Amino acid sequence: MKLSSKMKRSLLSWLILSPLMVAVLFPFAVMLITALKPATEVLRPTWWPSTFQWQNFITMWSATNFGNALWNSVYVAVLSTVLSIAVSIPAAYALSRFRFVGKGFVQQFLLVSQMLSPIVLVIGLFRLLVALKLLDNLNAVVFVYATFNIAFSVWMLQSYFATIPKDLEEAAWMEGATPWQALRRVFLPLALPAVTVTAIFSFINAWNEFVIALTMLRNQDSYTLPIQVFSLVAGRYTVEWHHVMAAAFTATIPIAIIFAWLQRYLVRGLALGAVK
Amino acid sequence: MNRSVFTNPYVLTAPAFLLAAFIILWPLFQIGEISLSDVNRFGQLRGFNGLDNFMAVLKDPQFLAASWRTVIWTVGIVAGTILISIPVALILNQDFYGRGIARVIIMLPWAVSLTMTAIVWRWALSGESGMLNSALTGLGIIDQNIQWLAQSATAFPVQIGIGILVSIPFTTTIFLGGLSSIPDDLYEAAQLEGANGWQTFVEITLPLLRPFINIAVVMNTISVFNSFPIIWATTQGGPANSTDILVTYLYKLGFNFGKLGEASALSLLMFALLLFFTIIYVRLAMRGDRA
Repeated sequence: MKLSSKMKRSLLSWLILSPLMVAVLFPFAVMLITALKPATEVLRPTWWPSTFQWQNFITMWSATNFGNALWNSVYVAVLSTVLSIAVSIPAAYALSRFRFVGKGFVQQFLLVSQMLSPIVLVIGLFRLLVALKLLDNLNAVVFVYATFNIAFSVWMLQSYFATIPKDLEEAAWMEGATPWQALRRVFLPLALPAVTVTAIFSFINAWNEFVIALTMLRNQDSYTLPIQVFSLVAGRYTVEWHHVMAAAFTATIPIAIIFAWLQRYLVRGLALGAVK
Repeated sequence: MNRSVFTNPYVLTAPAFLLAAFIILWPLFQIGEISLSDVNRFGQLRGFNGLDNFMAVLKDPQFLAASWRTVIWTVGIVAGTILISIPVALILNQDFYGRGIARVIIMLPWAVSLTMTAIVWRWALSGESGMLNSALTGLGIIDQNIQWLAQSATAFPVQIGIGILVSIPFTTTIFLGGLSSIPDDLYEAAQLEGANGWQTFVEITLPLLRPFINIAVVMNTISVFNSFPIIWATTQGGPANSTDILVTYLYKLGFNFGKLGEASALSLLMFALLLFFTIIYVRLAMRGDRA
């Protein structure tokens, strides 16, 4: 029997991709298997536990203060996303619709701030928060995250907004709608997919951020998930790896599922936003 | 015309601009001030001391070592990522069975926080109880455990490998976008002319992918140059500072050793470098705009 050409192509494609697949999936396997090992077997580098300790996921919850860190992460990621989107939509709208003096400056400023990673500014940011007595304050972290996401969000939204014909709003103005009505009834519904994609990126950025949280959050009660999990392994003599891996797995899987589900849109969105 | 706040570009851009300016310019100004001052470890400024902090940084052998390592780190990861992502994107751009699943798996590292990735690898790479050693032993590739992260000869290359792995999703995405923008009839024409696969790739795909490769190089360079969690969560720059790059060295200077003046001077040096990258990026982006 002769293989169809698509079948041959499929086999070849999977064969070439397989080393990368293994490398990508390996950490997930490590997380899951370690998380399911009985405490006594964790340090034995076997691949298969003698029994599956599903209750590790339950004991992890209190042993790692997971619930508190989860709540902090959700709080910071949601609020910073809302804030950055709320200020980015009007800015992106203005940049895609109007010519005005200083437009080039605003765009360049945003581009430079896009390139600046928080780490380069971390000492200045730290002093800023100390001066404002906002160390250990989750709301301050919300502001910093939102700000560092603005450049990216404006940039993404702007290139989407440019693809929505201006005539639509102008037609609404002609029919007597105020600019606000035109915006709300005509423009925003069309912009919604772009806003969603941008919001997801902002959310994931905030959810995963490390340096700012490490520097600004000094008290365990205010730790976000990455810092909480990091604190369980950094500078400790004994690390309860089964709990750490259960925590890492639990923190990762919801985002991975959302990502896998929305991946098609994210990819399309980023390709459009990045290269126009 | 419509005179309304909703059509006034200044009102519309002000919140985003002011917020970004406050959180970026204020710290930047602070860093500038500290870098030119004599500062104690509690952050109190004790007067102007010119360029002493910059001199101290430039003379520190750790700075030179970390700079050199940053070059290897950045070039290694960016080059590795581009070289792997191009064929991966080419494959994922084809129609084959299970392509959707393959795409999801390859994009997966993107969804995981770098910190978590680094922590999982730190555990997987541990000498005695690490599952990488046991997997390699099981496959008969090695016969004794390797202390991956405890020696600089393996720690840094392994970290670069992790960096490549996590950069592939973003880069592949950019290339997939690029490939989808190449019109099919070019390939059909090439086929009629009797071009083989390699010729088609070199003559058509690569030149048309060029702007996307440029963008991917610059964006990856900036993010890899700034990448902190992989090294911090696996080795914290150890053993004996042998895996420090500029960002981890900066963090240590400022927050572990309390040398705030030198750390600020280093921040400004890095800021200048980033600005340089940014200008290159703007040039590339503008060229894309005109095309």
